[in-house]
Amino acid sequence: MPVPAERTHVKGSADAVSNPRLLAAHLVVAVLQQGNSLNRVLAAQLGEVTDPRQRALAQKLVYGTLRWYHRLEAVLAQLLGKPMKSRDRDLHALLLVGLYQLLVMEAPAHAAVSETVQATRALGKEWARGLVNGVLRNALRRGEALLAQADAEPVARWSHPRWWLQRVQQDWPQHWQEVMRADNCQPPMTLRVNLRQGSRERYLARLAAEGLQARPLPDSATALQLATPSAVDKLPGFFSGAVSVQDAAAQLCAPLLELHSGQRVLDACAAPGGKTGHILESAQLDAVLALDSDARRLEKVAENLSRLQLYAECVCADAGAPDTWWDGRTFERILLDAPCSASGVVRRHPDIKILRRDEDVEQLARQQLRLLEALWPLLSSGGILLYVTCSVFSQENGEVIRGFLRRHADARTAPIEAHWGLAQAGGRQLLPGEHGMDGFYFARLVKN
Amino acid sequence: MAILDILHFPDPRLRQRALEVERVDASLRALIDDMFATMYQAPGIGLAATQVNVHQRLLVIDVSKDQDQPQVFINPEILAREGVEEMDEGCLSVPGFYERVQRAERITVRALNRDGEAFELEADGLLAVCIQHEIDHLDGKLFVDYLSQLKRQRIRKKLEKQRRLGIEDNVDHDRHAEPVI
Repeated sequence: MPVPAERTHVKGSADAVSNPRLLAAHLVVAVLQQGNSLNRVLAAQLGEVTDPRQRALAQKLVYGTLRWYHRLEAVLAQLLGKPMKSRDRDLHALLLVGLYQLLVMEAPAHAAVSETVQATRALGKEWARGLVNGVLRNALRRGEALLAQADAEPVARWSHPRWWLQRVQQDWPQHWQEVMRADNCQPPMTLRVNLRQGSRERYLARLAAEGLQARPLPDSATALQLATPSAVDKLPGFFSGAVSVQDAAAQLCAPLLELHSGQRVLDACAAPGGKTGHILESAQLDAVLALDSDARRLEKVAENLSRLQLYAECVCADAGAPDTWWDGRTFERILLDAPCSASGVVRRHPDIKILRRDEDVEQLARQQLRLLEALWPLLSSGGILLYVTCSVFSQENGEVIRGFLRRHADARTAPIEAHWGLAQAGGRQLLPGEHGMDGFYFARLVKN
Repeated sequence: MAILDILHFPDPRLRQRALEVERVDASLRALIDDMFATMYQAPGIGLAATQVNVHQRLLVIDVSKDQDQPQVFINPEILAREGVEEMDEGCLSVPGFYERVQRAERITVRALNRDGEAFELEADGLLAVCIQHEIDHLDGKLFVDYLSQLKRQRIRKKLEKQRRLGIEDNVDHDRHAEPVI
């Protein structure tokens, strides 16, 4: 049975549809207290909001509040004499949303305060009007000083959990501050042009004809960064596969595989299929097998490929147990885009900072090594296995590769020569924000 | 410890009858730990093995407010029932729906604990409801079976629709996650 409704239920759901601040508070509660991922609650709750401006505002508020959660909590603790009661977590979330508007977003103060105070009514907690008003007006008056005091504590200043901050400081003693800063920025929207349907220059011109500005990114032959994010249905040719939405870091994978016509390729953890699509766009391959252990997410791969008008065999199976799906024919190329902490893409998914636990990292590292071990025998001799994560934690990256190399005399790493990232033993690390890209790790293993 | 996948109504595997546990050993205790992790994360107050597609007679329950009093029931049996009580029930296998269900108000249960030792327990209130609800799972029964056919169909349709829309719960880093105004 679930926790009884009265313990978690937030009153006033119906009103949330017309008050973006209230809706944002509901969504924050769903992530903080109920441990839901933001994607999931957005899909479930945002659909009911029909006014696109209100939707966009609710979304901006919830992303911003979660992104700055640790910092806003530290400010709120100073403003509240004692912590809120557990039955008032909805109010607590509403106050965080209010503080985000005033201290980070710098929204017009009058509307932010009055609308946030107004939301207490929909929660059935009008008794809290004075409290919310008082807290927010105080924040307006003393914002600078409150932030300065909060920022004395690194967890608040960088708005990351302590264990996360410590890992990044330890792994990247020269660069940790840049990583923290990048994690707290809003990411750009980047496109991958399908070169099978036309050149990047031609697509740039098509965008310009629609009034959309973009610039080619130097590290990839396919990437275009939009000046302002846009809905996909406004992108020319999106539905016929001319273009996909994909960060430039993810677009580095397919070229690193050095694909040639006639090869057999395995994409071991394929969903949602962004990289599978890129692999298929890159060369006339003999066959591509796309695996994923999650049937629902595997459907996304098929959807994505059908939009691109490309084909791969999609199989729902555990990449770590090849005896259940492998036909015994080796692959010349294997992409292992391993399940990971996603610490390199936290700017896109700020809820990860709240939901991820320190001990998850070790468990993920074990799973990553297990997958590598299971897939290695499937690689042809002379073939390339590209190991990829969207993590910045070395325990999931260099350490996994080092552990693997120690046990496999027939494996060596092929160095990655590039103008991006930092050369690491075993591979190359791209830190988030570098050339506007997400944080990724790549290692190229060749079989002797 | 791992978070297990919870089956959702109308999955036919929820209708399977669970078999008696024959040995309480380390592998069963590992399953118990995973079930608690899954239940707390849901968040829930009770979980039957059937819901995570393990067809053995095993429940984990924690009805305490602070979620710090885990209880394990292996091969549970209800020895006595008294009185009638109505409560709004939900179910982790029927997410998002709460309906009123009638149950016995007070029950006596016998079961094995995580060390395989037998115990008896008298329960009332939320704990009694929860134990009855979870034992139903082991018999392939769901709380929606107590509702009218109309209500049950409505719930089924809504859940099937949600699944079709593919409500995501994983990280898709290839997606543009944050449209801006």
